[in-house]
Amino acid sequence: MGEIYSGIRESRPHTFNDLGDTSQNLEQDFNKGCLKKADRSFAQGLQCQQINSMAALMSLDDAVFIAHSPQGCIGCTTMATDVFRVGQAHRGVKLIKNPRIIVSNIDQNDVVFGGEKKLQEAITYAGERYDPKLIFIFTSCASGIIGDDVDAVIRDLQQTNKALLIPIHCEGFKSKVCASGFDAAFISITKYILNKEKIEKIPNLINLFAPTTVSYKDQLEIERMLATLGVEANYIPFYSSLEKIKKIPAAVASTSICKVFADEFMQELADVYDIPFSHTVMPIGVRNTDKWFRGIAKIVGKASEAEAIIEQEHARVLPEIEKIRKRLQGKKVFICGGTGRSFAAAALLEDFGMELVGLETPTYDVDAQLDIEYLNGIHKNFVVDIANMQPFEQINLVKRLKPDVFIGVPTWAARLGIPTTHVLDMKRPTMGYDGILYLGNKIADQVDNPGFNVKLAKHARLPYRESWYTENPFKYIEG
Amino acid sequence: MSKVTENPRGNCVLGGINAVLGAIDRACPIFHAGPGCCMQTSAGESGQAGGKTPFFVSSVSIPSSNMLEKEVVFGGENKLRSTIQGTIEVIDAKAYFVLTGCTAGIIGDDIVSVVDEFRAKGHPIYAIETPGFAGNSDYGYETVFKVFLDQIVEKGRPKQKNLVNLLGIIPNHDPFWSGNFEELTRILNKLGLEVNTFFTQHQGMDEIKNSGAAALNIIVNPWLLKDAAEQYEAEFAVPSLRIEGLPIGATDTTDFIRQIAAALDLDTVRVEAVIAEEEEEYVYNYLETAIGALSWKRFAIVGDSNMAIGLTRYLANDYSFTPLLTIITEPMFREEDKERIKNRLTSLEYAKPPQVLFESDQYHIAKALAENEEITLLIGSTNEREIGLQKDIQCSVISFPITDRLIFNRTYAGYRGSLTLTEDLYDNL
Repeated sequence: MGEIYSGIRESRPHTFNDLGDTSQNLEQDFNKGCLKKADRSFAQGLQCQQINSMAALMSLDDAVFIAHSPQGCIGCTTMATDVFRVGQAHRGVKLIKNPRIIVSNIDQNDVVFGGEKKLQEAITYAGERYDPKLIFIFTSCASGIIGDDVDAVIRDLQQTNKALLIPIHCEGFKSKVCASGFDAAFISITKYILNKEKIEKIPNLINLFAPTTVSYKDQLEIERMLATLGVEANYIPFYSSLEKIKKIPAAVASTSICKVFADEFMQELADVYDIPFSHTVMPIGVRNTDKWFRGIAKIVGKASEAEAIIEQEHARVLPEIEKIRKRLQGKKVFICGGTGRSFAAAALLEDFGMELVGLETPTYDVDAQLDIEYLNGIHKNFVVDIANMQPFEQINLVKRLKPDVFIGVPTWAARLGIPTTHVLDMKRPTMGYDGILYLGNKIADQVDNPGFNVKLAKHARLPYRESWYTENPFKYIEG
Repeated sequence: MSKVTENPRGNCVLGGINAVLGAIDRACPIFHAGPGCCMQTSAGESGQAGGKTPFFVSSVSIPSSNMLEKEVVFGGENKLRSTIQGTIEVIDAKAYFVLTGCTAGIIGDDIVSVVDEFRAKGHPIYAIETPGFAGNSDYGYETVFKVFLDQIVEKGRPKQKNLVNLLGIIPNHDPFWSGNFEELTRILNKLGLEVNTFFTQHQGMDEIKNSGAAALNIIVNPWLLKDAAEQYEAEFAVPSLRIEGLPIGATDTTDFIRQIAAALDLDTVRVEAVIAEEEEEYVYNYLETAIGALSWKRFAIVGDSNMAIGLTRYLANDYSFTPLLTIITEPMFREEDKERIKNRLTSLEYAKPPQVLFESDQYHIAKALAENEEITLLIGSTNEREIGLQKDIQCSVISFPITDRLIFNRTYAGYRGSLTLTEDLYDNL
């Protein structure tokens, strides 16, 4: 990473963000190198990378987060803040804290004359008020375009500041792929905290990278699984600390819970510290959970132990899954989710004997191709929409494909009367062997009792013209 | 000028504009902005205002030009043009509003010209040229009214003497905006008035266009919409009555009615009958069934001026709690506004006035609360839970931002709302 990788996901080879076709065509076109870079001439709002950079770090202990931006750019921290507060409650914390977020509040004056003075002020406040160990400074579209030299301000102030000052270059306009924001955060962790310093290895310690969207129940389940292998997880960066980050190089292996989280960073750790890593799938569903578990077990030299454990787990959960399968067999599903979750959820369908009819996910690349090949082996030809949300395309597709179940953000499909289940649940279980049962029962209960959505559909209003539903959903993708 | 702020309570001007437009029936904002602005502004306003989101378009369903490096370098007018074209083809709105993000504002894209091309073809589309960095969400609320008055309100509509515009309650920012409008509208209807809110009961563009026909603007806010009031008066001959803070409870709501009755010269017999019905037969009919249910409290309020005035006055004047400290959280720059607010908070009937602070920064807010050891009831936002836990006192979350309650149309305003507030403050501890 570091010197080689810019942190912009579009810069990686064979990466596509605007596409729509059948799964069979996509698989073939990708293999033949026929996919073209495209863009949407009309689109709905995206998630910017700054949102992800901030969310990735906001639960760190002893840290202050400064957005060098106008006041609007911390809007989405409300979600990470909520998850942080609820996460503390789940972890039994009595005195639940707010994250410390300071915005430099770039205004008209600063756009003309520069906002560096206000950034200095913000950094000073952060130190005076909280005496933190870490101060993160997140850049914005505005600070980037007006050309504030954030690095120079930080270099200057670092000399007299007790806290470690860490800039995160996450200007929204630099990337269409919000996962770039994770990379921006890890690039800075590498450069400003780890600094290529080598430390003594701790046997049995592995790095477990997890984004904020992983619930505490999921963390416990994953840690439980790892404990059966006799390894201890350094859970990073959610609810971690400077000390835990500094311990990263001491690990004997790394893995991530999310496919697009810390993948480049784990490569960097392998290159610099010889830490092998497992980058497989998100552990949702039996197949993926097995695959994820085998991946990390192999690296820590516990492959045969893992097989025994998987057998035990299967004996425990498969009979329960069979009960759920009876309720869901043959149901047609449309899935919309982030890169990691959408493919993981698609794999889950195999457990329950459901049929995939549509899949919406933000990026198509080499990893996605592997997933699509696997899914094409199980399901008939399904439709793939490579989109960062774009609900107008989604609703057009859902109306056409008429799924029995929708998995993803329920806001729009619910208004068509389709049973909906969210797979990105930041507060409740989704992952590992226990997560499958929770998720399966959740989907099945929605299918059995769809009354709310059915009644809602009779009254609900969607913003689209009737004529839109007869148009090609990919009409605005131009390449 | 904007100040460096910890945990600011509100979004940028873009967020404020978007929040207001989100409450107009079938109005569609179009962002000419960076890729995250739709989400950031929606999360930062309606996303912190009690858990409901505008039904029409919101967050990632708002059309956006998603300006990337290419547009930053070469200009984004073509991208805007194709975004507007697509929006009109796909989204069935009664009106479209093109909003300006920081990126478009800094590089200087000519939004008005692009919008004019579509206006010329007969589309109901309006340009709002105020970029995100120009201020906060309160300024966004005022900016939308400026757009209404400059571009939408129609001149020459026949005057309707029983029509009023009810203004000052900010949709998708005030967590209780729907309920507040509902309760105040209910009361005004009882007085025989028709009410334009623009944002409730499927109101929208038609009511905004017709708002120049109103006999009176009732601005329920101690300081916002000063310029709009002047413009309504000068260009549409609509005078304004400023209600200096949300009326909560019998005393202030009755006062609210009497001020309106005087301004519109309403029939006194009818007005007094309404007051008697609401106050005697309704509010006190309940209050006397739970005397002493809430234990005595010394309270602090943290919130925007509208809500803080309403809460402080109800709890002090009508419920005999002891006011200690009221912190007004929205930034404001005119001294006269601060004086008016301070006066309203300190001119109480029996109670000694609270200390009044104007403070937007979370660190200073928490510090002021920590320093006052007498407080036994803290009413604030979700942000105040932390200091409430530290002080180990009752903490009720009633002001923006609220992320741990779901609020559809709950209200603490008016007569009925005061009973709900009293119910919600009951803690049985």
